[in-house]
Amino acid sequence: MKIAGNDILIQSLINEGVEYIFGYPGGAALHIYDAIFNQKDMQHILVRHEQGATHAADGYARATGKPGVVLVTSGPGATNAITGIATAFMDSIPMVVISGQVQSHLIGTDAFQETDMIGVSRPIVKHSFTVDKQENIAQIVKEAFHVATSGRQGPVVIDVPKDLTNPDELFDFNYPEKANIRSYNPPVKPENHQVSRAVDAILTAERPVIYAGGGTISSNASDELRELNELLDFPVTNTLMGLGVYPGTGKRFLGMLGMHGTYQANMAMHNADLIIAVGARFDDRITNTPEKFAPKAKVIHFDVDHSSVSKIIEADIAVFGQVKDSLKAINNYLSSRKDEINREKLSPWHQQIKEWKEKHGLNHELYKNDSDEYPILPQAAVQHIYQESEGKAFVTSDVGQHQMFAAQYYHFDEPRKWINSGGLGTMGFGLPSAMGVKLAYPEEEVICITGEGSIQMCIQELSTCSQYKLPIKIFNINNLALGMVKQWQDMNYDGRHSSISYEDSLPDFVGLAESYGHVGIKITKNSELKEGIAKALAIKDKLVFVDIYVDPNEHVYPMLVAPNGSLKDMWLGKGEKT
Amino acid sequence: MIQRKLTLVMENKPGALARVVGLFHQRGYNIDSLHVDPIEDFEPFRFIEDELGIKFQVGEVSRLTIRTTVGDKLMRQILRQINKLIDVIAVSDDESTYLKGILRNENLL
Repeated sequence: MKIAGNDILIQSLINEGVEYIFGYPGGAALHIYDAIFNQKDMQHILVRHEQGATHAADGYARATGKPGVVLVTSGPGATNAITGIATAFMDSIPMVVISGQVQSHLIGTDAFQETDMIGVSRPIVKHSFTVDKQENIAQIVKEAFHVATSGRQGPVVIDVPKDLTNPDELFDFNYPEKANIRSYNPPVKPENHQVSRAVDAILTAERPVIYAGGGTISSNASDELRELNELLDFPVTNTLMGLGVYPGTGKRFLGMLGMHGTYQANMAMHNADLIIAVGARFDDRITNTPEKFAPKAKVIHFDVDHSSVSKIIEADIAVFGQVKDSLKAINNYLSSRKDEINREKLSPWHQQIKEWKEKHGLNHELYKNDSDEYPILPQAAVQHIYQESEGKAFVTSDVGQHQMFAAQYYHFDEPRKWINSGGLGTMGFGLPSAMGVKLAYPEEEVICITGEGSIQMCIQELSTCSQYKLPIKIFNINNLALGMVKQWQDMNYDGRHSSISYEDSLPDFVGLAESYGHVGIKITKNSELKEGIAKALAIKDKLVFVDIYVDPNEHVYPMLVAPNGSLKDMWLGKGEKT
Repeated sequence: MIQRKLTLVMENKPGALARVVGLFHQRGYNIDSLHVDPIEDFEPFRFIEDELGIKFQVGEVSRLTIRTTVGDKLMRQILRQINKLIDVIAVSDDESTYLKGILRNENLL
């Protein structure tokens, strides 16, 4: 059968199993949109801004493990997608972004809505393709999905000049069975000598810590990680990106580590004699000053990306390969040497960690205080959300204090439930990513914990939620200011609050939500908190926007002392240091 | 810091060179000199063909030589970052070679 370039593109996506495509039409993409109109296998979600499309596709990808797909037009459509592509790139999220381009013969002439999308996106994509002729569209789509979803995953851009989707020129269409890129060969299985060296180190450790990050989730290696810890009984900490890969309520869980990590997690890392890094990349929010990082520790690093290993912290033992395969290999080999595992040896270490936790661990019972003498603590708000949703919701967040409180006080027992922009730290991510999650899992509770600063960066998507009837629950932790910036200004700039207040210009969020046909709830007192959150969660068929007014002076603690601090140097409260 | 030479064998595709050059800027490395031309004599690269089980055609692949002044640790990082570029088939410095993603401890190029 002969079909046109626009249909080849859409049929290729359908062959890849794409169920949703998030996008926004425009001139250069019109032929493609016509092909979307003529099919029923894939649903297009019309967002209100291309940034929303990329975040929604990203949320879908993080929750399902399948690649998110975006379609935008040339010029401003493409450049508006950039922030979302960079977000996915920093967190290694599989995504395929199709951008319309002006007609081939106009490229380079500064044509209307022309932008060099391949050039603009180059530093923030795993790879990109320009369609050169219609006959190659199917192969390019196949290769794009292969690159996006294999090895260290990431976003891929396909730029499509408008003339190559012209409905009047017909071509043969056969979707290729496999991608064949001779210069691309991501590692899968680890080498045996690496595995045996790692196991030798594991068996002799006395103060070990497993430090697992987002790579463990992308590799779907949560079960293997849990199995490893069944064997070893080691303490486990997760990065912001790794939360849920080991149960948040698990016996050996230390909490998150790093900039706003728990006291016990950071102390355990600092004092460890062995750090087992699994799909984590030692970024600066984790290590604090690299020269002072974990001075006594040997490092085993599991990663699929050679360039992540020994980039910041030198690894003593590197195990290259898909984390899932590497952990399987470790578990198998370890099982064969089971009699050498000495759990007793770890008890002084477990005891030490317990003492740290008792001394300066987080207070998870703040929600029990319902007195109206005090303003609502943002931490208590998150704890109530955790209690009322029974810890089972998908939670997306934006960026700032509310994000850290959510990471600290919502315990994720499963991977892919915590959806946030870790690497790039993109405000505006929370609401659109929640749309992607809700479309993927319509029966599941999807909560967006946000702040009054972040939510306004993509608030236009409230309209999209209305159109597609997405009953997301938005909890706006409203402290009337850009809280994290304010915290830094309090701590490092003698309280000079430069440009963090909106003065009296905040909208009435309840009225705003209602104007889109949603439900709005305003909470200003501790005594209203539990009931208000429960009421929101009980509404199943509507989006509910819960505006929670919290203490505007609260800070996030612990917080690493920087610059020049190590992981044991933390602020534990206002004016209180380790 | 000493000046080192990097040799790349890469697909001769539009934008491939820009990815390599862009990487140097993006990661904060400096290029002292750069030379690129299409490979016409495949004899020194037969082992790559054997490894990949393919036959290069004239005009399909280019050889790129970059000189850069960096320390050991950064050199290793540059090699690894270049190896990650999808269009790069092989890259080497004086001591090691990444061939289609696999590390060999000698300069094969």
